[in-house]
Amino acid sequence: MRNLIAVVTLVFLALCPIGLLAQTMEERLNALEETLKEQEKTIKDQQRLIEELKAEMKGLRSPSQPGTAAKEPAQAEQVQEQVKELKEKVDQVAEAQTRTVPSVFNPAIGLVGETVFSYRSKGSDETGSDRPGGFDAFQRSVELNLSASVDPFAKGYAVINASADPRTGEADATVEEAAIQTTSLPWNLTVKAGRFFGEFGRLSYIHDHELPFVNRPLALEEYVGGESRTDGVQVNYLVPISHYVSLTVGAGNQFGGDIPPNDVGQFRQGSNVNYWGRLSSSFDLTPDISIEPGISGLWNPATTDLGGGLPQPDGSTFFERERRLAGMDFTVSYKPLRNNQFQTVTWGTEVLYSDNRYDVYPPDGAFLNRSIGSTGLYSYLAYKFDRQWTVGFLYDVVESPENNRARTSAYSPYITWALSHWDQLRLQYTYTNPNAATGFKPDNAVYLQWAWIIGSHSHGWQER
Amino acid sequence: MKRILPSMLCLIVMAAVFCCAATPTHAAKIRVVTTLTDLADFSRAVGGDLVEVNSLATGVEDTHGVPMKPSFVPIMNRADLLVLVGFDCEHAFLPALLEASKNPRIQVGTPGYVDCSKGIVPRDVPKSTEHSEGDVHPYGNPHYMLDPVLAKTAIQNIYNALASFDPQHQGEFARNRDAYLASLDAKIAEWEKEVAPLKGVKFVSYHEHWPYFAARFGMEYVGTIEIKPGIDPTARHIEELITMMRAEHVPLVVREPQFPEKVPKRIAEATGAALVTLPIMPGGVPHTETYIKMMDYIIRTMVSALQGRK
Repeated sequence: MRNLIAVVTLVFLALCPIGLLAQTMEERLNALEETLKEQEKTIKDQQRLIEELKAEMKGLRSPSQPGTAAKEPAQAEQVQEQVKELKEKVDQVAEAQTRTVPSVFNPAIGLVGETVFSYRSKGSDETGSDRPGGFDAFQRSVELNLSASVDPFAKGYAVINASADPRTGEADATVEEAAIQTTSLPWNLTVKAGRFFGEFGRLSYIHDHELPFVNRPLALEEYVGGESRTDGVQVNYLVPISHYVSLTVGAGNQFGGDIPPNDVGQFRQGSNVNYWGRLSSSFDLTPDISIEPGISGLWNPATTDLGGGLPQPDGSTFFERERRLAGMDFTVSYKPLRNNQFQTVTWGTEVLYSDNRYDVYPPDGAFLNRSIGSTGLYSYLAYKFDRQWTVGFLYDVVESPENNRARTSAYSPYITWALSHWDQLRLQYTYTNPNAATGFKPDNAVYLQWAWIIGSHSHGWQER
Repeated sequence: MKRILPSMLCLIVMAAVFCCAATPTHAAKIRVVTTLTDLADFSRAVGGDLVEVNSLATGVEDTHGVPMKPSFVPIMNRADLLVLVGFDCEHAFLPALLEASKNPRIQVGTPGYVDCSKGIVPRDVPKSTEHSEGDVHPYGNPHYMLDPVLAKTAIQNIYNALASFDPQHQGEFARNRDAYLASLDAKIAEWEKEVAPLKGVKFVSYHEHWPYFAARFGMEYVGTIEIKPGIDPTARHIEELITMMRAEHVPLVVREPQFPEKVPKRIAEATGAALVTLPIMPGGVPHTETYIKMMDYIIRTMVSALQGRK
């Protein structure tokens, strides 16, 4: 019995794998059959495709079938037409490439417009201003700015201003600046030559429309003569140390208010030329706060004919014989790194000391030679509290360079609305308070300045 | 004493000359100035110990509004290479600084002027450069650095400049570049997975910083809070933006940290969108000192803001 069980077990064990094997074999066969069928189908598809391609090639070689005879020439004609059109367009582009374009070397061009609307409580006879009292609209600037590289070694620029003449109202075009400036001199040097605004002080070499307030400070008007325009040459040197120190020296035959060239028609000595210089630096007190101090000097040893005689209220006449002007300035800026486009505070102050020497001809005819020391300063605080809005306050005081007892002070709160980089409105109130020695009367004035720029504009170093 | 003094002075002078002559001369490092911090990060990665890198921006500034500090001038004056984003990104501060630097080695057109936009196809090249379109960039949107794949082109440009400036160390620069690109590629693969929830998600931002980022990660950039580049929004524009965002179901408002929070917050509240503050260069917000950390921060902040909203 035991043997029988053993035999049955052995047979079962032997047959089981065979059964399993048979099952596996069957599955494999089925799978192979399916693969074969798929391959047969693929072969049939490929054969069909080959037949189709053969037929197509045959058709291409043999004359056209009657049914397609009309269609094919039409298609060919259409293709030819398209090729022709394309060729014409390519020819046009090629022709355009060879065409002469005179404007291709044009410099960058920008135009600045600046209109000042004002109301002044006193007439010009009582204020000494060249603008009338009451309501006034003054097109102060129409500045055409041109700039481009001259060659790999220099750039050139020009500023042509056609502002309205204060008396006639006619636009009177003048070349405010036209200068060449080197770009690749060694030893940290830059040379500028031609007509330009000489670097004296902090704001005298900035155009009217770029000032942080409407009018140029009284001290700059009195001592420099407005913008520091000169015909001459200026050399700037960046001291090669790890701290920013900039040194500028220049010479020119006129400077600011000293507009008439000295000694017209005469032999010009070196002593008749204006010499100026400026030393400036900067210190980062914190990442957000910096201070930029500077000192400046202007000297003309023999200003023999500065605009002729200067009549004084006491009846005497002054002739300037030597021009000596010294200045000290500083600008403290709070510009938070993160949001300096939305919030800044700037405090700028400049003190000027004039020590001109005059030939004085009193009414009694006794000739005098006098040096007169006089002082002026301006200080302003501007707070930008939004990308578009800035409020500020300007304090001005100046003594007349010919009479240091004649003092004028002014207070000017203002608000600026910059709609964009290129469009700005400014409202300013100015109370001007001249003392009795000046011969003028106190004046209240309201200004509305609208300045705009079209075309090319650059963010110059002076905008910092 | 009178006899000894000249001898002592002579000795001191000789000692001073000896000290100067005997001081080992260290190979000077290549002085690299970058405009923005992402470029500084890449320059350090490629240049390694052979470069001294200074960035004009610290990271918190607007890419177009780095203040023109006189203290930058001496740094730029001594630079061997100036690395910049290009596409006019730095137009508000770089040209004046370049002129003031008086450094002929880094002026436009010289090998030291390294414009990292070389080889990058710009997006959104304006059809008009009229100022009626705002402060447009005539060469196209310059914010390609927020696409890490395009950032690789900038890295290659930095490598080219360094290798050209110092061919002796080309091998070292190449090794550094390859190592950095490998780590960046690994992160890009990681970011691609992480941004899955952001695919197709619409968002607005204050300034047009994000079109390259959106294109890379499959997001939909639908508008800006500024009415035009550099022009603050008007009340009407804000209302129109809110209406559009409601209609389009825009779930994210991105505010770059240099812009005020008030208007983005108001828009987010009015539309129910999540407001996120995202840096546009390394260092813009804490814990984003490197480019990779910054991208990590941007993606994770966006994803978590979106998930938090759900």
